[in-house]
Amino acid sequence: MTPLLRFENASFRYSGRQVLENISFSVRSGTCTALIGANGVGKTTLLRLGSGALTATSGAVLVNGKKINGLSHRNRSRLVALVPQELDVPFDFTVEQIVAQGRTPYLGMLRGLLPEDRAAVERALEWTDTATLRKRIFNELSGGERQRVKIALGLAQDPQLLLLDEPTQNLDIGRQVELMELLRRLRGEGLAVLASIHDLHLIRWNFSEVHLLGPGTSFVSGPPDAILTTENLQKAFNYVSRRHQLPFHPSDLVETL
Amino acid sequence: MSNLGYFGIVCLLLFILLISLLTSASIGAVHIPTHDLLHAALRDRALTETQSTILLSIRLPRVLASAIVGAALAASGLMFQGLFRNPMADPYIIGASGGAAVGACVGIIFLSQLTFFGFSSTALLAFVGAVLTMTVVYSLARVRGRTNGVTLLLAGFAVGTMLSNSTYLLQLLDPNSSSGTRIVAAWLHGTISVPGWRQLAITFVLFFLALIACYPLMRRLNTLALGDEYAQQLGVRVEATRIAIIITGSWLTALAVSLGGLISFAGLIIPHVIRLLLGPDNVRLLPVTVISGAIFLVIADTLARSIVAPSELPVGILMVFLGGPFFLYLLRKRKKEYAL
Repeated sequence: MTPLLRFENASFRYSGRQVLENISFSVRSGTCTALIGANGVGKTTLLRLGSGALTATSGAVLVNGKKINGLSHRNRSRLVALVPQELDVPFDFTVEQIVAQGRTPYLGMLRGLLPEDRAAVERALEWTDTATLRKRIFNELSGGERQRVKIALGLAQDPQLLLLDEPTQNLDIGRQVELMELLRRLRGEGLAVLASIHDLHLIRWNFSEVHLLGPGTSFVSGPPDAILTTENLQKAFNYVSRRHQLPFHPSDLVETL
Repeated sequence: MSNLGYFGIVCLLLFILLISLLTSASIGAVHIPTHDLLHAALRDRALTETQSTILLSIRLPRVLASAIVGAALAASGLMFQGLFRNPMADPYIIGASGGAAVGACVGIIFLSQLTFFGFSSTALLAFVGAVLTMTVVYSLARVRGRTNGVTLLLAGFAVGTMLSNSTYLLQLLDPNSSSGTRIVAAWLHGTISVPGWRQLAITFVLFFLALIACYPLMRRLNTLALGDEYAQQLGVRVEATRIAIIITGSWLTALAVSLGGLISFAGLIIPHVIRLLLGPDNVRLLPVTVISGAIFLVIADTLARSIVAPSELPVGILMVFLGGPFFLYLLRKRKKEYAL
């Protein structure tokens, strides 16, 4: 079966610097994949390659077996949604107006939202538990609320592949658990999720595969148990374990949660 | 707001526009009472000959011209604010008006005999000037795919000031000297001209076509508010959309400038205030902004030509004194949002 998303030896250079080198992996429908790595190692770049916002300098990024940059804007936007870390909106749009923008790939220049578009918006609001925020101004929401609305915007696009850039940032532990429940639900609906994530303790029970982007463009993939080892993490995040000093050491959490 | 409420607002504004057009037409050196106008309109009592001459050859064309100028400025302000994702943009500030003024001046001074399809070269050259200026300002303000608010305002200010002042040089080069120059000088301060009916009709058609071209872009403007990259992800062809917005915005600016010269603040304040009242959905903003802009400039022009009667103030000067302080008030009140 053709995987939904496939990186084939994809590399990306930006102003003379090699950001990603020979990345290969696949994401299949109905799975959740985590992308971990230290700050600045290229996780956001990898996600933007996956959404087609950037083009690989060599190698290829394929969606359903076709090169993502060969797809029309519109077809691509019906397949893939990237939820960015930051969404900066200059005017006072309400949550409902923002989420409704997710239907843009399905609308013509003149046609407004049809009942099926409204239904998709409602579903996105309901799944992310943001229906009660619908009349609120997006710019006035808290960080956690904005995070959920951004995900709703991505879901309103009705994609097959959802790319999430640091979706758990700004979320307290309760909201993190809710987000993981949402990811499980999306997986059940047949979506593929690829999320960059810093909260390693969330990975083991919720993600079937982990990609670890290390320093110096190293890249390892595998199931959580194989990747989230103390040795791998120390190398990737460049620290020395002082277990006896830090009660909430990330690798502790990986082992206990 | 419900669709019904919105429809009600549009109807109410259209009614107010009609009243202000009638009132404005009745005010002037020769007062023509509004009920006489209504009777004449209903054809049950004719106006005197003097009244009808004044009305048909001077006052009505001018009042209608001011309505078109206001509507066009407000609509282009709305488009440029959306394009630059910045509530401070307006055709005057970002230099489109200056570019249109240079184009129009070239037309008035050097090519006044030239016509295209029965239309003077002035409006066409104003359009060319506005599009060229916008292209320059826009590329100056864009750094690595992002439009920086500060760079935009500075680039627009610099380019616009250079252009509107270079019209003075054009006047010095004027081969026919004095008479034409005085017209240009008054016009540059924003004086609504008294167009012939033919010119008025053509301008109105062009204005209406511009609005039709604008309308489908309004939903795109909403999407562009999420940022270029997000709009792209949602399947919007960002560059093509942007070019379409620059062209229609410049088109509207050129129409306003060729009828009324340089008028500042109208294109800034009207979309801004309407957005505060109705929210930022551009699809809903466009009709209300257009009608409000028309009402606003009809009233402003009536004031401009009556407060210092029998002399007349350019409405552009009045707008500076009314609009400037109001803009500063908005700036103070919503300081946070303008943090650039």
